[in-house]
Amino acid sequence: MDVSIGRFRWLRVPAVVTVIGLLVAACGTSTSSTSNLAKDQTLRLNNNTEPNSLDPGQEQYSYEGSIGASISEALLKIKPDLSDAAPATAASYSVSTDGLTWTFKIRSNAKWSDGKPVTGADFVYAWQRILDPRLAASYADPFFDGTIAGGANYLNLDPSKPADVAKIPAFLSGLGLSAPDASTFVVKLQAPSPFFKWIASLWMSAPVRKDVVDQYGSDKWATSPTSLITNGQYKVSEWVSKDHITLVPNTNYWGGQPTVTKIINYMITDDNQAYAKYLNGELDEVTVPLANTQLVKGDPKLSKEIKFVPQLTLFWMDFNTRKAPFNNKDARLAFSKAVDRNALVTNVLQQRSTAASYFIPKGMNGYRPDLGTTQAFDAAAAKTLLTSAVGDPSKITIDFLIRNSTANKQIGEFLAAQLQTNLGVKVNQIVIDSKTVTTRLRAHNYQLYVGGWGADYPDDQDWFDIWMTGSGNVFGGWSNPAYDALVKQADTTADATKRQSLYDQAQKILIDEAGGGFLYQRNYMYLVKPYVQGLTTTAQDFTNVGDWFWGKVSLASH
Amino acid sequence: MAVAQGAPPRGALISFKIPRGRGVSLTLYIIRRILWLVPVLFFVITITFVLMHLAPGSPWDREGKQLSAAVVRNLNAKYGLSDPFLVQYLRYLVNVVHFDFGLSFQYEDQPVSALILRSWPPTAVIGALAFVMIVIFGIGIGVVAALRQNTWVDYAVVGFSTIGASTPAFVLGIILIIIFSVSLYRITGGNFSLPTGGFALDQHLIMPVVTLATLPIAFIARLTRASTLEVLRQDYIRTAWAKGLRERLVVTKHVLKNSLIPVVSALGPTFAVLITGSVIVESVFAIPGIGRAFVVAVSSRDYPMILATTILFSVIVALANLVVDLLYTVIDPRVRLG
Repeated sequence: MDVSIGRFRWLRVPAVVTVIGLLVAACGTSTSSTSNLAKDQTLRLNNNTEPNSLDPGQEQYSYEGSIGASISEALLKIKPDLSDAAPATAASYSVSTDGLTWTFKIRSNAKWSDGKPVTGADFVYAWQRILDPRLAASYADPFFDGTIAGGANYLNLDPSKPADVAKIPAFLSGLGLSAPDASTFVVKLQAPSPFFKWIASLWMSAPVRKDVVDQYGSDKWATSPTSLITNGQYKVSEWVSKDHITLVPNTNYWGGQPTVTKIINYMITDDNQAYAKYLNGELDEVTVPLANTQLVKGDPKLSKEIKFVPQLTLFWMDFNTRKAPFNNKDARLAFSKAVDRNALVTNVLQQRSTAASYFIPKGMNGYRPDLGTTQAFDAAAAKTLLTSAVGDPSKITIDFLIRNSTANKQIGEFLAAQLQTNLGVKVNQIVIDSKTVTTRLRAHNYQLYVGGWGADYPDDQDWFDIWMTGSGNVFGGWSNPAYDALVKQADTTADATKRQSLYDQAQKILIDEAGGGFLYQRNYMYLVKPYVQGLTTTAQDFTNVGDWFWGKVSLASH
Repeated sequence: MAVAQGAPPRGALISFKIPRGRGVSLTLYIIRRILWLVPVLFFVITITFVLMHLAPGSPWDREGKQLSAAVVRNLNAKYGLSDPFLVQYLRYLVNVVHFDFGLSFQYEDQPVSALILRSWPPTAVIGALAFVMIVIFGIGIGVVAALRQNTWVDYAVVGFSTIGASTPAFVLGIILIIIFSVSLYRITGGNFSLPTGGFALDQHLIMPVVTLATLPIAFIARLTRASTLEVLRQDYIRTAWAKGLRERLVVTKHVLKNSLIPVVSALGPTFAVLITGSVIVESVFAIPGIGRAFVVAVSSRDYPMILATTILFSVIVALANLVVDLLYTVIDPRVRLG
């Protein structure tokens, strides 16, 4: 690694960079001054699954974001404590007083891995491309078509109809995206959206190079290191299918050079195999297999290497409210009150998750555990409530849909036992393959299922929207006009305090009506080698703890 | 094993006059068998295609965050899934005739042929090495056990076969990892250990090959032992002993050749299974092979990938059977193909 060039670049950071931008840049290089560094700064990780794509517009899974976050940089980037989105490729941004126009100033020294400058036009192209129905980008709807001015028509353009295809160019040029000059990117929105700073920091909001896409093909460019021209701190240097993807620093990156000069992301799908590799000194970080939890906690050496990181992910019992008994609010509440979440967390989840009888997880603004008392565990009250609501519980049989995996089956087994013991209902556990479960959920052919949500970005809007009437992300069909109205208002309210109070009211309705029976928040339990310094974890990490901020890591000699 | 009754029935499906001469007739036989692949593959494709589309779930279904209806519609349009079933089927057949196996759904438009060419070599290397081990050790210890029947050698082989045949690959694989990677790493203070997984043409191969080969070795050893014992009791062997031949000659010339007939028929399918991949061994040792790729393709409903892998597997199985049939003519002069 050429430290001197990194330093030189860092000194030349122009005055337009905001104070926060400087801080981020400083953090990126500060660790390189440590003296006792290992000669070989190679970080070895397990990415678990091979990315389907590293095209920012087409990434959709955490095992893609985990690498995407290092190689492609959006306008803004989450802060480790998730309190705000900090400047990244954009040095600063401003929002018009009506909240509709967002102007991003792009760093003059922001460069692609091939040395060309990153411009506003690159963002206009990348964002228009996502909204082109022919690309079929996974999350164009709702993140982009629901926010960007002119985007709503995305839903009406069917790429299998030639008449619609003819309308696409006009649709794309009519979007509220423009680049008045090379260093400016302007976005016009449909409605004031205080959460838009998070959209601007999403994986899919990173720029894409038109000339590269045109040369290699829209679906090909992101599959080979030669054509993967990206703008992040690292770039892909090697991609061996199903085996590993290697990252090396992007020497043209605006924020200086990282200390770790090589990141090898292996694709080991078996957690136990990865765990053995960690013990064998072949990986620097690994998730602890559930069955090994107590062993690791009791091991004098390994217990010191544990990293416990709460995640913005929460699970609940999804009640199909179209069918009896769950069309009855009290019946839903009774089922929720019948589950001893602490026992679930202790006995099944090995205390690696946190019991939760509320919707918004710890780490978010809307975290209000006090609202969860309505659903708190009370077996006797649950049975009384159920009997008074729908009659004799022993006459009720519930079809409980479970995805076929060891973890899901254990949780399913526990919940079924709780409901049978505490309520006296019969629970019919249906364990089937994942695709079939989704098909049945979509067809509403079930009564009970354990669903969940992981934050796309740490804003309440991302959570509350999924319970709105007609949302495709909760299958149970719970619907409440008062809830919808509150969330709709909150989503567009700029005043933070007022916005929060609206979301709190909405959460109270959701919990009191038992739209879902909330169960637990997931945490990551990882082992990290003691020589890994500067690990910066967030509640939004993808597949490895710290995978947003490898630039801050260094490896001590060992 | 009713070899003496003549040619395998498969060959009788097409009958036409075959010119005299063993070389010519053999060549014709091979050509005919390869031509038979075409209708076989047609049925394989048709059945797979129908079953695939009957299976619940679409390639775009997933756990967790759902794709919106508009995005699913766009994806269907992009990958030609909005066309009627018959149109999709005919288009696929036409493409296959042109050796175009389509683009993967799961890996954003990477050609399926490229994905297979990338993931098959590791599987084939490990499978082929395991096969060599199976032939050498399976047949070797089987023959030795039969020749030394009811001695400690025999008991050891039978004992090994029983344990080997009843130990699942995932158990054996993990035990090997614990002993030769994790424990050895601890004992030698990190200086020496076998890699826990991954693929490379070095010591990475040892544990996967051993894991993959153990069960078939046990199976082939038992089979060889049983058939050798049977041959040893034949009159012609007694004659061979009686005319005073040395043990080596009796064993190699008379016993081995005859006792291998059932073994060869078992080795054919074994070879086909080995080089099309073991999901378990590939998972335990994190080998980027085709067995795992196939399972992932099925569970993610990656239609083009499922079809192409099935076609490849069918061709391999058919060719392995052809080789077995040809080998019969070498080891058993009573067999005539055609």
